[in-house]
Amino acid sequence: MVRRVLARPAGRLGAGILILIALLAILGPVLAPHDPLGSTPDPLVGISGQHWLGTDYLGRDVFSRLLHGSRESVVGSVEVALVALVVGVIPGLLSVYLGRVFEWTALRLADTLIALPFLVFAVAVTALLGNGITQAMLTVGVLVSPLFFRVARAATLTVARSQYVEYGLISGASIGWIIRRHVWAKVLPPIAVALAQTIGVGFIIVSSLTFLGIGVQPPAPTWGGLLASDLNYLNFQPFAPIAPAALIMATVWACNLLADAIRDVSGQAGRALTNTRRLGARRAGGSQPVLAKGRS
Amino acid sequence: MTTVSEDSARRGAVSEPVAPGSGPPVVLAVRDLRVHDRVSDREIVHGISFELTPGKVVGIVGESGSGKTLTCRAALGILPEHFVVSGGSITITGHDVAGLTPAQWTELRGSTISAVFQDPASYLNPSIRVGAQIAEVVRVKQGFSRRVARRRALDLLAAVQLRNPALVYEQYTYELSGGMLQRVLIAAAVAAEPTVLIADEATTSLDVIVQAEILDLLADLRDRAGLALLVVSHDLAVVAQICDEVLVMRRGDVVEHGSTAEVLRRPRHEYTRLLIAEHEQYGLEAYLDATTPQHQEPNHARQESNHAH
Repeated sequence: MVRRVLARPAGRLGAGILILIALLAILGPVLAPHDPLGSTPDPLVGISGQHWLGTDYLGRDVFSRLLHGSRESVVGSVEVALVALVVGVIPGLLSVYLGRVFEWTALRLADTLIALPFLVFAVAVTALLGNGITQAMLTVGVLVSPLFFRVARAATLTVARSQYVEYGLISGASIGWIIRRHVWAKVLPPIAVALAQTIGVGFIIVSSLTFLGIGVQPPAPTWGGLLASDLNYLNFQPFAPIAPAALIMATVWACNLLADAIRDVSGQAGRALTNTRRLGARRAGGSQPVLAKGRS
Repeated sequence: MTTVSEDSARRGAVSEPVAPGSGPPVVLAVRDLRVHDRVSDREIVHGISFELTPGKVVGIVGESGSGKTLTCRAALGILPEHFVVSGGSITITGHDVAGLTPAQWTELRGSTISAVFQDPASYLNPSIRVGAQIAEVVRVKQGFSRRVARRRALDLLAAVQLRNPALVYEQYTYELSGGMLQRVLIAAAVAAEPTVLIADEATTSLDVIVQAEILDLLADLRDRAGLALLVVSHDLAVVAQICDEVLVMRRGDVVEHGSTAEVLRRPRHEYTRLLIAEHEQYGLEAYLDATTPQHQEPNHARQESNHAH
């Protein structure tokens, strides 16, 4: 599966950008030429050899602040996606198997969560539990989880009623075995798509929250926070918002590219199983065995 | 881990016969089984009774909707959601299934009672190699390692008379013909050495020659493993070929029940007579007898022998 996603240009580009962003998040503080919090005597200078992206209104190096800020943004959005994954997928799978009471409760709970606006709710929770990125992201993660719940449940339903799952029951396999053997393979591709999308959405949410000053204490740099402070001095430095905005856009775009590639590939797997892989194709060799390996 | 307890449970059940008196142990006993549809609030199966002993083949014939499949599903504990057993009892190797927990059902299925169906392709996962699916049953039910399970699956594929087990093992469902798939499904069904096998319209979608081969295969399994068979079909010819005893069902009622020879040669109920008459009227023999000149028969025979190879 991974290999087939990377075989597509969109998948390669998306993964490439995300790896770059991840490297920024890991190595950013080391690469930064200046202290992100240390001010210099000259505020709001333009692009120069010393300050690649200029300085902000307190004379801090913008490039260093961007590099330092990448970690918060990346960790935050991954946190959102992982929390949503765990909170959503497991009940989504189980809602098909654990009987009507559980099913009804889980569905209504998911509906309720969908109804809550997550930015406002995240603001409220940080006000209640303290202003930290983890509190904010846990909240957003839980509020995004209905996406995973729905996707996992829909995929599970399509296989759970299939005759080969019934045959698994007849030949005496337990529900756990059937989920591991038959259901999981069907649920995984749509979940992978949802995960890639959610990381993108997570970036926007983290950026929005930090833009509003929620989740991170002000002197600490974040992409959203940089954008916010740049906007106040737009008339002095009209180019300043471009760098953080471009980073946010590139990351979200990369996530969407990756999600598209995964979706295309998992769709292709379905088609390939019914159409393209005929008996002769495998005997003839060629590119077909890749498909078989990806499956196993 | 299941094998030991299963085996001893089976032996224990076998040693205490369900029905008093002598004779072979009853492995599946259905007594006055009634199935109720909760949606339409009607009884669909109005009391069906039969007994299976090792090596015995019981057939159920009847038109679509007569309750044959519901009877099978009740015996397997997989009735569709809105159907319930509303009366009578089903006993599998001495255990009344009414009191079984889901975990006990899981243990019983595959290793004591198993089934094959019409349209085998949809009962196998299209994205897993068929051999692996047979090996899986061996692994789950008998707790063997992957390697042993693989060898056992290859043996099973050979036992269901597939010519190249090693090749078939690596293939997917869409690469196999209907007859081959049914053999694979039979191999999977008998993988955990059940005592009872239910064949619900197992030969219906197959052509006549493959159908005969599959029935021969089932008879062979019965002879070698002492399998008790429940064969369900709408086709009297299938029942005639393999069954010791026949039940004729119509609209949920058993209209006739007796030894195959008796039911087919001396049908007492008018519905059975109708089924037999239709066979006589619409079967190929009627056409051949009426229209074919004598000198064309050798030609026909030659074509048939070509098919068989």
